[in-house]
Amino acid sequence: MTNDIEVKVKFGGMTAIVLLLMCCFAIATHAAELNVPATVTAGSGLTIPSSGSGSATLYVVGPGTAIKRQVQLGQGIQLSAEELQNAGRYVVALDGNTATFFVIAGPVQSIAFLARPSRVPADTPNVVTGTAFVFDKYQNLVLQPQPIKFELTANGQTVSRSETTKNGVAFAKLDSSKMEGPAQFVASSGAASVRRVVQEVASDPCSIRMTAVRDKNGILARTEPIHDCAGNPVPDGTIVTFTAADAKGKSTVDARIKQGVAEAELPASNNATISVASGVVVGNEIQWRGGQ
Amino acid sequence: MKSVFPAVVALAALAVVVLVFRTPQRVLAASTASIAINVEHAAPREIEETTQKALGRDYATAWQTMTEALEQNRADLLSGNFIGTAGDKLTATIREQAKAGLHQHITDRGHVVDAVFYSPEGSAIELHDTAQLQIDVMDGSRVVHTENATVHYVALLTAAENSWKVRVLEAVPGF
Repeated sequence: MTNDIEVKVKFGGMTAIVLLLMCCFAIATHAAELNVPATVTAGSGLTIPSSGSGSATLYVVGPGTAIKRQVQLGQGIQLSAEELQNAGRYVVALDGNTATFFVIAGPVQSIAFLARPSRVPADTPNVVTGTAFVFDKYQNLVLQPQPIKFELTANGQTVSRSETTKNGVAFAKLDSSKMEGPAQFVASSGAASVRRVVQEVASDPCSIRMTAVRDKNGILARTEPIHDCAGNPVPDGTIVTFTAADAKGKSTVDARIKQGVAEAELPASNNATISVASGVVVGNEIQWRGGQ
Repeated sequence: MKSVFPAVVALAALAVVVLVFRTPQRVLAASTASIAINVEHAAPREIEETTQKALGRDYATAWQTMTEALEQNRADLLSGNFIGTAGDKLTATIREQAKAGLHQHITDRGHVVDAVFYSPEGSAIELHDTAQLQIDVMDGSRVVHTENATVHYVALLTAAENSWKVRVLEAVPGF
């Protein structure tokens, strides 16, 4: 008797599970009736076939879109190009059936271009970086690989690099040109092109040469015009450090380059060693013997 | 008749189990999205630990505000976390939802996120996010669509003054 009850309970449980599975299957089958493509290109529109008769409420929810409208069953249901502009996942619900599909980006129409830094030293390798994100006409990120060209032009000299986007983005590191001046940095893909300006300035001094003379207050040290190794004048405002060391100690004066040269007045001394430096570059040294 | 009774009991028990276990998860998930960000594949620049933490915090906050905004049809909630096209498109979604009397209830069950690009100058990061979501599309109080879905997102975040903001958020068929 006990065994009989156990069998009935087990059988009942099994029946419940089978019924539940059948319900799930029926729901899943019913939901699959709405026939939509897996992907649609942005801005191309879509017609969804429908069956049955009478009217029903159509729901479409996706990026930038939320539609609720009455449609006639048994006819093709139109989703316009304007309604499907944004890339992403769309949910469609109609008469108890639901489906999802993806809108994917169209051809490249624009580029978001990050060019850094805005000011770089001339004649320096891999110092200018460009990062380009490619978008279609609806500002969807284009994830399919796209060819992209980076060009840096300064004083008629062009450095270029061709890359392919990955996940909608490409980047390049380029050398700055030998001569200082504004450089045009362009990223282009197909007809889309973006330009940025990068100011190339002289890099560190190549060498520093100074002279020293006695003046009424002490020693006047002055550099010759300071250039980088490509011959570009080092920008005004760059700090140059003059140092005088004698038996009394060490005196240091920081001076800025003005009109290409830097100068500093050092304390009077009859026996000093005078040196000059800017950044990591050390110039000549003068053994001062009271102006001899 | 006797054989039907256990089936009804089993279904009722199943319904109770579903209700008991489902409700607390939804409440918890709505308040905090679990975001795990893997930065091992980020290139060309490595992502520092502090940036990784900030990214996880800001991306989780962005998702939380987005789900709230889509549920309450409040675009004003987005401004702190979304900018550019992501902000524009979400705002448009909310505007259209409000117009149609719709809203979305999204239960965020967690994300597995890979950082795939970190720009050389450190101002932009691209993420590949695999999100586990329960999405309910509501017409007023009526559910017109419900699903548990694994959705893949490409997200582009840019550095703002003191946080990362989502500039692009696109669901994609796969990576």
